[in-house]
Amino acid sequence: MSDEYRFIGKATPRGDALDIVTGRTKFVGDIKQYGMLYGKVLRSPHPHANIRSIDTAKAKRLRGVEAVLTHEDVPNWRGGVPAHLRVLDSKVRFVGDAVALIAARTEEIAAEARELIEVDYEVLPAVYDVVEAMKPDAPRLHAAFPGNVVPPGFPWFGPHTLQEVVIGDVEKGFEEADIVVEGACAYENFPNPLPPEPPGVIAAWEGADALTIWTASQGTFTDRTVLYYILGRKVNVRAHGVAVGGSYGSKNTAWLLIVQAAVLSLASGKPVKLCYTKEEQFAAFTLRLGSRIQARIGMKKDGTVTAISGDWLVNTGYYCAGTQGQVAVGCGEIQLVVRCPNWNLKPKVVCTNRAPSGIVRGYGGQELKCAFLPILTMALEKADLDPVEFFKNNYVKPGDGYYWRDGEWWVSNGVDYTKAIEEGAKAFGWKEKWKGWLKPTAVSGTKRIGVGVGVHGNADVGEDTSEAYVRLDPEGTATLYSSISEHGTGQRSSLCKMVAEVLQLPLERVSMTPPDSLANPYEFGTVGSRGTFAVGSAVIEATEDARRKLLELAAQKLDRPIEDLETADGVIYVRPTPEIRLPWKAVMGFDRTCLGHGRFEPNFTMPNFMMVFAEVEVDVETGQVALLRVGSATDVGQIIDPLNLENQLNGSLGSAGIDSAIFEETILDRATGRVMGGNMIDFKWRTFAELPPMQHVVLETPFPSHRFKAIGVGEITPSPGPAAVIMAISNAVGVRFYDYPITPDKILKALGKVQGRKARGGAA
Amino acid sequence: MKTLADIVNTVEVSTITLTVNGRQYELEIGGHPDEVDPAHTLAHTLRETLGLTGTKVGCDGGACGACTVLMDGKPILSCMMLTVEADGKSITTIEGLGDPLNGKLDPIQQAFVDNTAFQCGFCTPGIILTAKALLDENPSPTESEVKEALAGNHCRCISHYHVVEAVMAAARNRR
Amino acid sequence: MKSFKHFNARTVAEAVQILKAFEGHAVLNAGGTDLLGALKDRFLPTYPEAVINIKTISGIDYVEEDAEGLRIGAMATLASIARSTVIKERYSVLAEAAGAVATPQIRNVATLGGNLCQDVRCWYYRYPHHVGGRILCLRKGSGPCQAVTGDNRYHAIIEGKRCFAVCPSDTAIALAALDAHIRITGPAGARSVPILDFFKTLGNVLKPDEMVTEIQIPRPADGNRQRFIKLTLRKPIDFAVVSVASIMMVENGICRGARIALGAIAPTPIRATKAEQEIVGKPIDAQTAAAAADVAVAAAKPLSMNGYKAVQARALVQRAILA
Repeated sequence: MSDEYRFIGKATPRGDALDIVTGRTKFVGDIKQYGMLYGKVLRSPHPHANIRSIDTAKAKRLRGVEAVLTHEDVPNWRGGVPAHLRVLDSKVRFVGDAVALIAARTEEIAAEARELIEVDYEVLPAVYDVVEAMKPDAPRLHAAFPGNVVPPGFPWFGPHTLQEVVIGDVEKGFEEADIVVEGACAYENFPNPLPPEPPGVIAAWEGADALTIWTASQGTFTDRTVLYYILGRKVNVRAHGVAVGGSYGSKNTAWLLIVQAAVLSLASGKPVKLCYTKEEQFAAFTLRLGSRIQARIGMKKDGTVTAISGDWLVNTGYYCAGTQGQVAVGCGEIQLVVRCPNWNLKPKVVCTNRAPSGIVRGYGGQELKCAFLPILTMALEKADLDPVEFFKNNYVKPGDGYYWRDGEWWVSNGVDYTKAIEEGAKAFGWKEKWKGWLKPTAVSGTKRIGVGVGVHGNADVGEDTSEAYVRLDPEGTATLYSSISEHGTGQRSSLCKMVAEVLQLPLERVSMTPPDSLANPYEFGTVGSRGTFAVGSAVIEATEDARRKLLELAAQKLDRPIEDLETADGVIYVRPTPEIRLPWKAVMGFDRTCLGHGRFEPNFTMPNFMMVFAEVEVDVETGQVALLRVGSATDVGQIIDPLNLENQLNGSLGSAGIDSAIFEETILDRATGRVMGGNMIDFKWRTFAELPPMQHVVLETPFPSHRFKAIGVGEITPSPGPAAVIMAISNAVGVRFYDYPITPDKILKALGKVQGRKARGGAA
Repeated sequence: MKTLADIVNTVEVSTITLTVNGRQYELEIGGHPDEVDPAHTLAHTLRETLGLTGTKVGCDGGACGACTVLMDGKPILSCMMLTVEADGKSITTIEGLGDPLNGKLDPIQQAFVDNTAFQCGFCTPGIILTAKALLDENPSPTESEVKEALAGNHCRCISHYHVVEAVMAAARNRR
Repeated sequence: MKSFKHFNARTVAEAVQILKAFEGHAVLNAGGTDLLGALKDRFLPTYPEAVINIKTISGIDYVEEDAEGLRIGAMATLASIARSTVIKERYSVLAEAAGAVATPQIRNVATLGGNLCQDVRCWYYRYPHHVGGRILCLRKGSGPCQAVTGDNRYHAIIEGKRCFAVCPSDTAIALAALDAHIRITGPAGARSVPILDFFKTLGNVLKPDEMVTEIQIPRPADGNRQRFIKLTLRKPIDFAVVSVASIMMVENGICRGARIALGAIAPTPIRATKAEQEIVGKPIDAQTAAAAADVAVAAAKPLSMNGYKAVQARALVQRAILA
């Protein structure tokens, strides 16, 4: 911990701590608006069907019902990238797709009205598998997507959005290789990020072209911008961000949910709250992308990778909300992990008749790497190389370049993570535990122990733009104007700490506006570990700007050069003669504030880093897997708040992370197209009763980021875990696996103890 | 054999009494917004009828523990309890901990603040109440007893490790 | 939840009277942890007109032991059973099974009677109505069993014919090993049935106007050893993938008697009687255990995805014998 700072690096209570522990924090479900109605969605029983007719007459007659809408009633608003999905359509594309929307005075009435709607469907064949979906005779989901392949391009990332990794000459690279491996691996368990709070929103039209929403979003401006385009480029959307009960990417923007509520509000003329049930969250809200790769890797005996080629098939479910962006970032991130001069990695984004997949912590990169690393390790096994050594040699170093999401070549200006890897491996005891490929660390009776390692990194810590204002008041207080939402990272408190540190104000004298797209300047949001560097830079600049304006005023008053002036605790003093001091009020009077402005422009030169070590125990008689221990290693430049950071590092066990290697999966029944066990009992999540010991190694090598020399890491902590665990299991039992999650049935089958089964009806 | 009417007269109730955080509420059974429908869960009544939104509803299916309240001192899931069947019971919700007038926190709440034993905070009220019931019954739990007691409280951010530290710290501070 | 009439029964007789009056359109509510889920998800095509609270019946949550054995009131909570000193001492397999159910909050209200009468967890059967409509099947009156051709990883490997949903109750497996009887009260009076006869492939023997009032367990011979093992992907919350409950009498290393019950592999709790016969009179060693375990799962006819459950069941029988 650094003593250089008064607040930075110190554990301080979160600004919202009192509200959280007393139950005062308001989530969407806790908010009511006057005259508010409750929305419900009638959902499709078929994975693919045309709607021949809908009869809503009975539902409309039910007392208390104020709106019943079908595809015939709604405006032609379209979402997705490129815009292709109507709010309600004459066609349904997965079990759970919206067929009709209802608003009523109570949730119970809305639910009863839903029972009264009669729909006649023309059932169509459905397709769930990416390869099947691309066949010429496959059912087509969207007229605009021939072969169900979504066209590349993602406007947010600019005109040259990265679409593939094509560098050098792979044929030459394979010729130079001593070892060539080829294989396929699927990370297609579609784990649910599963925020505790189900998705919800309140929408209220305040005029023909003014919509106000109360949203549990990671980015109020993302909602505002996305809705502007969907609602015909004329609606001014005010997004109030409320406390987010977990998101892990999935609530980055819940545009479809918001538009469903908005159209009900438009039709009824009243505010409408629409909250999905947990079952709807499981069956019809954002899952992780399906990721399957067929790859060929060339390597020299010393571990130098000479060529990588492959097809990466991405299953985005029934529509595409911007998966191209995740593919772009995934393609960028894989270059950070493997140093290779020759690439030919071709992604395809494919629509299938499944629930939507989209943004989940790890944002494409986790999905790609989980599928890619088990193939890469085939080569490491042949070369008999220790994976930790391999990653140490390969992880991007200062001076190394990569194509990033914008299609531009960027060069790392960050730190060398070699030391973090070495210290992490030492703390975990890697050298003692590692016995070679497919070799257990220890055997005891029916139990086999194995270890594995995974790695991930992201240059998005400096992604997108942020703006902030800081207002200084005469009472010696500061207010940060920033539309940053709180979804668990403690980001709002960390930003207030930065303001307090710059101004040397006690923390309790710094407050922050609520996330609100009307009251605050532009802010991309708390996503992709960008809070510390990107948002922090704008906040620091705004604070310094405000401070400078205050000191300019004081310089005039005191007739001293501004360079001689300092401020702390709401008092300005002269450095050589600190007994000459003025409280802010004496400088500003009672009727003035000092307002500073800061802005951050994207900067992709500082990749962050995360390594995860896992130790598992496999019972070869029952196939049961226990996660015994997890270690991690990173370097963050400067810790802002150790407790918040530790929380985020522990988060590797949650949000469709490590446990997606052993038990998290969304099970689809292929005969009916339905999600099986879409509830909190049947879907597996880690509990208090089974916490493996965790040990984190966090280094603080200064980054050239901003005055606190820090970068963020929170988003990526779950990402290296699944590949580490699959490696550990493989080593424990001596068999390789290429299909997540590794459940007991797969282990027993791999060990030859149970007869093979048909293709898993649901899992793929 | 009695007729249904005889039975209905004797066992269908028209009002119930709940004691919530020490305050007694007489609630009419019926269909109006300030009344209790027989199908209302305790979670619904606390949140929608009494306005005590500190109790969260996560899964509404008895698995996540976000709606945990104390009923006669024991942690139960308010989403799986009919309000009419809580008649005469004493309920403690998160709003009943600490003292809102002087801002004083329950030692468990304070320990959660001190240890940042939450991230998104949605599950925190349920976790704190489960922890309170544990410490009331077992003032000196082991770490594994804390984990077992909290086995029915979902947290997806993985604040578990800090929660366990906070509960252990609260146990020390209460002694 | 959709509304219903609600009654607080004060006596068993009153509860039975109301059940009878509603002619199959009323349900009993004990702890509520299974019933409320069913009512919220509306996976059944029928919805009850009335819910009868039986928590208001006083005096049926007892745990009483005499020389004959143990009597447990149907309304005894799982938490009280898991903590009961007498149960932990002489009927430990039941205490362990009760303690392995769900979560602490659930065990505080869920009752033994309710745990025995809960509905199955087949994910086709329980598919929530509001996400595309319920799935009909034989258990709901008529319809094909989707599990046969679908995702049957958790379904029955033994005795599943008309329905492959497995008995979800952990306590039922323990009670099967303990040779318990279930006391049932209806308008015509009370009867007792052996635990194994209580369960049927499509439910249990309760008539629409009957309720479980007591669980009777004969006192096991002194010196027995009991074991409950439950395999799940996670320890809390999960229903068993495979479970075993056993009571063994062992003298000088020789098995003098054994009752082994298997859970979650068949529509009802089943006794591994052939495995029991295999070990009686033999020394308890790895060889005996392996032979018995083979016999225990010999009748298994797995579906497309659940062959692993036979392997797991075999391992559990072996472990229960050797424990």
